[in-house]
Amino acid sequence: MVLEQPYMFYAVLIPILGSLILPLLEDALGGKGIAALATMLLAIPAALTAHLALAAGVDEPIADPVFFQADSIGSFSMLLDSLSAPLAISIGLVTTLISVYSWRYMQHRFEEFEAEGETPPGWGVYYMLFVMFAAAMMGTVLSTNLVEFYLFLEVSLLPSFLLIAFYGYGNREKIALLYLIWTHVGALVFLVGALIVGLHAGTFDYYDPAALTPMMGLGQLVPTSLRMLTVVALCIGLFVKLAIFGVHIWLPYAHAEAPTPVSALLSPNLIGIAAYALVRIVYVLFPFEFASLTPYTLPLALFTIIYGGLMALAQDDFKRLLAYSSVSQMGYLLAGVSTLTAAGVAGAMVHYAAHAVGKALLFATAGVLIAQLHGLRSISKMGGLAPKMPITASLALIGFMHITGIPPSLGLWSEILIVMGISSTTTGRSTLYFVALLAALLIGIGLSTAYAFLTMKRIFFGQPSEAAEKAKEAGMGLLGPMMVIAAVGIALFIWPRLLIDPLLASLRILLG
Amino acid sequence: MEFAQTTAVVAWALPYLGALLSLALSKLGRVRDYIAASTLGLSAISATLLAREVFSGHGGLVTWSVDWVPGMGVSLGVYVDTLSGAMALIIAWLCFLIGVYSLEYMAHDPGRTRYWFFFDFFVGSMLLLVMADNLLIMFLGWEGTGLASYALIGHWYTDEQGRWVGDPGRTALGVPMWFPPSHSGLRALTFTRLGDVGFLLGIGVLYSLTGTFSIPEIAHSSGTWAAWLAARGLLLPFLLAFSLGAMAKSAQFPFHEWLVTAMTGPTSVSALIHAATMVKAGVYFLLRFAPIFKLAEHQLMHTLPAGAEAIHAYFTFITLIGAFTAFFMATQALVARELKLILAFSTASQLGYMFMALGSAGLMEELANGILAGFSHFMSHAIFKAALFLGAGAIIHAVHSKYVDDMGGLAGHMRYTFAAMLVTALSLAGVPPLMGFWSKDSVVEAAYESGVGLAFALGVVTAGLTAFYSTRLVLRTFFYEGSENVRHLEAEHRLHEAHPLMLAPYFLLAVATLLLGLTWPAVGPEILSKVASNVLALEEAPHVEVHLNPFLLGVSLPLVFGGIGIGWFAYQTSSGRRLLVAIRQSEPLSAIQDFLYDRWYINSIYYRVIVGGFAWLSRNGFRWFDSLVIDGFYHRLLPQSTWEASAIGWRFEKGVVDRGYHERLVSAVLGVGRTLRRSQTGLINHYLLMFFAGLAALILAFLVWVV
Repeated sequence: MVLEQPYMFYAVLIPILGSLILPLLEDALGGKGIAALATMLLAIPAALTAHLALAAGVDEPIADPVFFQADSIGSFSMLLDSLSAPLAISIGLVTTLISVYSWRYMQHRFEEFEAEGETPPGWGVYYMLFVMFAAAMMGTVLSTNLVEFYLFLEVSLLPSFLLIAFYGYGNREKIALLYLIWTHVGALVFLVGALIVGLHAGTFDYYDPAALTPMMGLGQLVPTSLRMLTVVALCIGLFVKLAIFGVHIWLPYAHAEAPTPVSALLSPNLIGIAAYALVRIVYVLFPFEFASLTPYTLPLALFTIIYGGLMALAQDDFKRLLAYSSVSQMGYLLAGVSTLTAAGVAGAMVHYAAHAVGKALLFATAGVLIAQLHGLRSISKMGGLAPKMPITASLALIGFMHITGIPPSLGLWSEILIVMGISSTTTGRSTLYFVALLAALLIGIGLSTAYAFLTMKRIFFGQPSEAAEKAKEAGMGLLGPMMVIAAVGIALFIWPRLLIDPLLASLRILLG
Repeated sequence: MEFAQTTAVVAWALPYLGALLSLALSKLGRVRDYIAASTLGLSAISATLLAREVFSGHGGLVTWSVDWVPGMGVSLGVYVDTLSGAMALIIAWLCFLIGVYSLEYMAHDPGRTRYWFFFDFFVGSMLLLVMADNLLIMFLGWEGTGLASYALIGHWYTDEQGRWVGDPGRTALGVPMWFPPSHSGLRALTFTRLGDVGFLLGIGVLYSLTGTFSIPEIAHSSGTWAAWLAARGLLLPFLLAFSLGAMAKSAQFPFHEWLVTAMTGPTSVSALIHAATMVKAGVYFLLRFAPIFKLAEHQLMHTLPAGAEAIHAYFTFITLIGAFTAFFMATQALVARELKLILAFSTASQLGYMFMALGSAGLMEELANGILAGFSHFMSHAIFKAALFLGAGAIIHAVHSKYVDDMGGLAGHMRYTFAAMLVTALSLAGVPPLMGFWSKDSVVEAAYESGVGLAFALGVVTAGLTAFYSTRLVLRTFFYEGSENVRHLEAEHRLHEAHPLMLAPYFLLAVATLLLGLTWPAVGPEILSKVASNVLALEEAPHVEVHLNPFLLGVSLPLVFGGIGIGWFAYQTSSGRRLLVAIRQSEPLSAIQDFLYDRWYINSIYYRVIVGGFAWLSRNGFRWFDSLVIDGFYHRLLPQSTWEASAIGWRFEKGVVDRGYHERLVSAVLGVGRTLRRSQTGLINHYLLMFFAGLAALILAFLVWVV
């Protein structure tokens, strides 16, 4: 279905442009007014994508009419289909609610700054950057053209860089720079691949919005000698973004030291987009070349799951632990994609959503603890908080259930789909392969369960720590948005067919 | 929806509703408790009506299904044949009875909202597990019970010392041997989820081969997928991976450790989840799938003998694992000091018996007999072990201690509890004519007929050990006077019988074990042949009878009575007590006792090797690899070397290029200039002279070039 007007483009453009006036309104509206306006801006794309997905379903792709066209660039449109829907819905959900959460959290952060005698830019700038970052992610996911994709990606990177630089923790300017350099190394390597494709193909489209079909095998127009190089460049660029083992080291710095609401967008929403791009872009353009790489990417993914889990176990800083957990979780996404089976890829996309819900809850929990316990992040100084903060503890438990796949959470479905995808690669393979795969999964999923529930225990259970004596439950300003996110995660467990059915149907065609 | 289908759906759905209600009505206090428990009662009634439908005609089968995730082929469906109907019936009633017990047992607990939420959530998941018509719903129920188990083991998550399991301060091989509730919950979840990974991988393999999750369809195509796997040498690895979840859930070696420490949960939870129901999920898995595997074996027998051998090897493996677990856990029950721990070891041991029977089933002439042996032991154990745990809860409540050392001499104070515990403990010991005797006899007979001699031997020895620790349990709690604690409580007149709401459930269960035992030769064959009458992939047993094999009785009964006799001697006679003291003083004998008490050091080995290994890897991997190598490479070496390179470049720039252009060149130019300047004296005649000299030189050069 092609919409009458490029509504999705408008829905993304309005918050990006609208965010620019937020700093000007700061004096007129005050912090709360700015927060409300920003949330409303973000609610536009969230409501539109959710409405389209719920009302029409995503069995059939829904696209904007082409709103920009140029020779040798191709056409810009926006596409909501089964593949992009799990991402768009999660981004809409998390960004809007974390925007609400930000209001209370940043009050605390500004107080901290004041105590330290610093004066960062105020509410207007914070929400301008936040809205721009969030809306640009939505634009990235809905894009149909490499140039469009790259432009939105850039628009998401710069505000997030500034958010870290202005409002982050620790050595924030240095870490912001580190984040900027790393993401640009990734983006530029990806851009090199994209340029090679575009210049040889004469178009940068990876999806034809008029015919509503992907540009399967467009990469054939790239000369044979360059083809593999192009695919590898595209993959490496995306791996940096996904923080796959070997190029993951930027993530713990950035996600741990970003202001917590921004961490709650970076981990749940931003990085996983790369897994989507692997399918939407790399596989579509180069189906054969990408398939020939998967025997290497699957072990790499499994190793990343294990490695991230091991590193998470070694952390004492709760936010750093969550950051390493994201490394591990991105391993699950890559594993699902690497199976190139309908179940595995669908599992990766559903796991994007499950991880978005889970990790948003967990970073938000970290934020609650920071706000309530005077900036405390060290897990070893926590313990026994559950009696004082039962709601926070329950929400954190729901968060951990989402990332470890325990019912009733959406994570159960993604875990099932990913393992199904992986197990279907064993048919026709040797016994050794089967045993090795089983061992890798046992260790990987075992570690995920261990770090998740060990952390739950260390923070919330056990005899009350010194921190627990003074602890008290946070207000609805922080917990309210978290409850909504948790409720959506559980609702999606009950009604997973919204995402899974269209995904499997379209992937069976796409993957042949 | 027909009536029978409604009963099936209500049976599992109502407890879930009860869970939600207990959250929603959390402000109502006691009323909420009664509402939560009464949904379990209604669920049990529903399961009864369902069982009646299944056992009386209608083809002995009730199915119902609605699409859930049609694209994935997942439907929310039930498949109630005579096996799952019987399982659901037993489980639902046990859940209700233990729910009633909880009303009083947990009456003053501040965390009752959480307790009832997870209690009811557990019941719904457990019933869904046994009634599921497809593997994914079974897995869903499976994981749901795991979550509830985790939450309830860690119910007292503030970890007060009184809630611990094990001896505070005791270490074995340097590993602490005490476990607070939050730690135990973590152990349970991690251990069982390891097995679940194998289960899920197996489900995935089956789905990719058959394109369905439906258990009946998988049963019907068992020959095909088994042949496919067998031809590639994958059948045995697949079967083992697929059964990993069952082994972990049912606490079979090497996954047994979690069940031991699960005793940190409230005793009602130990009775329900960690004795009567959830830990039987693995047994149910085998009851359900052993006939299917056997069907595959029949079909492979002639076409692909290697495949049939793989299935044979699988059943042998299950038999041996079960037999070893039965023996291994029974030895630990001999020396345990905590009342609940004796029962926990015993539970794992009895689960081993069930595994042994069900493994043997696949090796016997008549599969159905082995299956029924496993089933009858499941049933009898569920009844007597639930009663034992509930009684233990009442005793611990009464004496304010979990150690048997603080008990003894309670027979006169808690007469009904004593009677109930005596009957059920004798049933556990396998004393005729109680139910436990009949079912254990059939289990041992199955092992005998399987031809796995080692399993049979271990099974028989275990019978003797079981009799001993059951005797010890009864004597140490109800007789064997000498506990300061009991004397103290007696003096203050604080020892009294349990509250009727607590007493009634276990007293009823004790009556059940007695009545069932007394009538078993008459009703047993009828019950069992009904249970076997319509089981998926199981051909009806030609002739179900309760019979006694004189040879087996001759072997096992002397061991049982021997065990009881030794127990009596050790704890009821003065020379026996002197012997116990002597054992404690003898170094080699007390070493054996420590070995058993510290659980064969398996827990310590796990912590040293696996937990310690991963902790080491995590710590050092982070410190030396992630921080030093990777972080160091990107954020130190790379910037540093870039810096160095740029410094070298800068030196080159400065030293060579800059100086080349701006110093050497300049100085060269300046040198020339200076030389020139020297010549620039400002005197006209000098310039003129030079001009002419230059001109002369040019002319000269021109002349030379021309000529």
